[in-house]
Amino acid sequence: MTLLQVDGASKRFGNLVAIHDVSLTIEPGELRAIIGPNGAGKTTFFNLVSGLFAPTSGSIRFEGRDISALAPDERVRRGMARTFQITEIFPDLSVADNIRVAVEIAAGYRLRPWLAGKARRAVAERVAELLSLSGLADKAHVRAGALSHGDQRAAEIMMSLALKPRLLMLDEPTAGMGDQETYDIARLIRRLHRREGLTIMLIEHDMRVVFNLADRIMVLAEGKVLAEGPPQEIAESEKVQGAYLGKAAA
Amino acid sequence: MTQVVLFNVFNGLIVGAFYALMALGLSLILNLSGVINFAHGGFLALGAYFAYTLIPYVGFWGALILAPPLTAVLGLVVEWLLIRPLYGKDPLYSLLLTFGLAYIFEDVSRMIWGAQSVPFQVPAWLMSPLSSQYFFLTGYRVFMVIIVAAAVGGLFAVLKYTRLGMRIRAGTRDLDTVSTLGVNVRVLRSLNFGIGIYMAGLAGVLAAGLLGLSPTIGANLIMPSFVAIIVGGLGSLFGTLLGGLLIGVASGLAAVYFPSATEAVIYVMMGLVLLIRPRGLLGEEGRIH
Amino acid sequence: MRRGRAFDAAVCVILLFMPFWMGAIGGYTELATRIVVMGLAAMSLNFLLGFTGVLSFGHAAYFGLGAYGAAMAIKYLDAGTIPAIGLGVVVATIAAMVIGALIVRLRGVYFAMVTIAFGQVFYFIAFRWNAVTGGDDGLTGWHRLPIDFGFARLDIFQNDKAFYYFALAIFAICVGAMAVLLNSPFGRSLIAIRENERRARFLGVPIEWHVWLSFVISCLFVSVAGALYALLNNFTDPRALRFDLSGNFVIMAVLGGMRSFWGPLIGAAIFVALQDYVSSHTENWMSVIGLVFVLVVRFFPRGVLGMLRSGAKA
Repeated sequence: MTLLQVDGASKRFGNLVAIHDVSLTIEPGELRAIIGPNGAGKTTFFNLVSGLFAPTSGSIRFEGRDISALAPDERVRRGMARTFQITEIFPDLSVADNIRVAVEIAAGYRLRPWLAGKARRAVAERVAELLSLSGLADKAHVRAGALSHGDQRAAEIMMSLALKPRLLMLDEPTAGMGDQETYDIARLIRRLHRREGLTIMLIEHDMRVVFNLADRIMVLAEGKVLAEGPPQEIAESEKVQGAYLGKAAA
Repeated sequence: MTQVVLFNVFNGLIVGAFYALMALGLSLILNLSGVINFAHGGFLALGAYFAYTLIPYVGFWGALILAPPLTAVLGLVVEWLLIRPLYGKDPLYSLLLTFGLAYIFEDVSRMIWGAQSVPFQVPAWLMSPLSSQYFFLTGYRVFMVIIVAAAVGGLFAVLKYTRLGMRIRAGTRDLDTVSTLGVNVRVLRSLNFGIGIYMAGLAGVLAAGLLGLSPTIGANLIMPSFVAIIVGGLGSLFGTLLGGLLIGVASGLAAVYFPSATEAVIYVMMGLVLLIRPRGLLGEEGRIH
Repeated sequence: MRRGRAFDAAVCVILLFMPFWMGAIGGYTELATRIVVMGLAAMSLNFLLGFTGVLSFGHAAYFGLGAYGAAMAIKYLDAGTIPAIGLGVVVATIAAMVIGALIVRLRGVYFAMVTIAFGQVFYFIAFRWNAVTGGDDGLTGWHRLPIDFGFARLDIFQNDKAFYYFALAIFAICVGAMAVLLNSPFGRSLIAIRENERRARFLGVPIEWHVWLSFVISCLFVSVAGALYALLNNFTDPRALRFDLSGNFVIMAVLGGMRSFWGPLIGAAIFVALQDYVSSHTENWMSVIGLVFVLVVRFFPRGVLGMLRSGAKA
């Protein structure tokens, strides 16, 4: 069954049409990259899918069910998780506590006033697992706000992972990072995709990351779908080159 | 019966005009700077006391002209010294600070002018009724409505037609952008605060003539201002105006039919608005968070 | 919330012996009880304010409902002490549940404004409903009764110290419950909301529900404090419902340290002692209290424990 199906979604803010008639289908196990020049509407698209606002028209279906009217937290509970362009974590809590909160919520404990010994140990184990997956184990007790950019991003991805999502949405995961950090995050994403079999939708500007990781690429420009296809096709597309270079030339 | 109803509705409208004047100042400050000025009532009282002190020297009209700007100057000083450092911080802090200021203002008023009511001299001809049939239409009440209308009209005119007003309106929507466009945001906030306090001072002078003057005059009027803003809608000055008038009239009507609930009725209205339309009658979406 | 066990133990010891060392520094037992009661109120408010990050400036409403509930139960229903407290708590909690549901979609300054306004509703009711509440003069003509446990009798009426320990026991139960809650997955979900509401939402936390729960729990415990306060004074009046008391609760929490568990208790101790001292020495206690607000905000926003903590780190 198709995991995510967006049909003709549009979003206007007053007179501004941010997204126009965008459709997309994502199959389980895919890694889909969404690229495009600045202002193309990529993050708006993410906001639409993740539920920050409702589409002006069109529909969004997740695992066959229409989620267009659902609140963000409901969509998360249905299996969609996302990260943000500006990392959203709990700055004053330790890295371990950040992940622990996510693990507890994922385990359905968010209303529990008390955790028995067995449950507590299971949570601790899962937290340790996620810490080592991201290489943050030695920073477990550091205040999350004090971490480097790349580490905060990794922590945020781990928190989203803790939810055992069926679709992971990453908004510019390598934004503002140097080469080494970019490489580390890209490697982490690839591991999540290949080893853990996660379905991932990714907004990226760094073409090295895009072309190395993506199964299919969707190109947005000025709120509309410009092109869509496997990386090779997109790389050779004159339309796409025009969209990027044309902007630079102008 | 109609006389009584009319009397109370008219009274309610006057009271509502008051609430609106005070609430508009509060709303102005809240919308641009995100500060709940709990000391607004204190400024109102001080405005009245300044006028009271000036009347022997410049008469009622002189006091009416001079007291509000004087209060605004005090407001600017307070804003500069105490409130400015709090912008951008948790709104908790400005609320606590202005709360403390309200205490201080009331106590200082008591120290300087005494705890008892003081006689506030309004020109006698203003106090006389304008019509034998509608005895409640005293000159003072009509005069008040005129002044409030002028002040509100003036405020909206400033906001719509002057550069300052435009910047305030833009800043209410997006202060960051306004700042990057080169506007001095600190000065903007100060001036905005000053305008808000001016209105509080003016409301004070008018209120003293109607309700009498004592140190607690401000504390009694601040709650209805809050309710006016909530009912009228967050972020909308016009809504605040409407809210003030509505709750004034509502309490006026309540005085006829449910006298013991006159004060409570405005809270009932607030409860209803929150239930049915949380952002208020003219409130804008997205202003809630 | 990283308080050491040693600190907890120290607080317990200090509280356990307060009536005894209070006298030595010029205090008296009733003052000690007042500190415990206000401390409970401030800590209850802080459950919502410091740990969930939601600013309520109207908690006096529920404090007052607890007070009036208990007082009226004793005066009109001849209730025993514990049932009276229970009634006060039930009334306040129901009110909190209803009002909370109305306002939970708001946040920030607007939430604060609305909590203030709702507080005033109850103030007016207490003020106007003379026949039942005694109006502005307050509810008099009743007093707390000795508690009969069957095997023993605790004379909390005549014996100040007995009432102190009774209040302390209730304090301990409430505070213990709050500590357990804050240290649980539910408590962590609240702290998450405080830390980053958007991230909490995108982890699947239904924010409004959790804020509502935090609000109700916080009001429940504050109403216990209110009931104790009425018992302490054998009296209650509309001032127990007024927004200035709400403001006092907030300043107690901030003064002591909003981000720490015991902070509000320390803030309450300082505030109550100061108020007691100042009001017996000068007429201008209002200015002094106002000055406290201004000074705390300008110079000690992190509060006593907040400053001590960063001092320890550095």
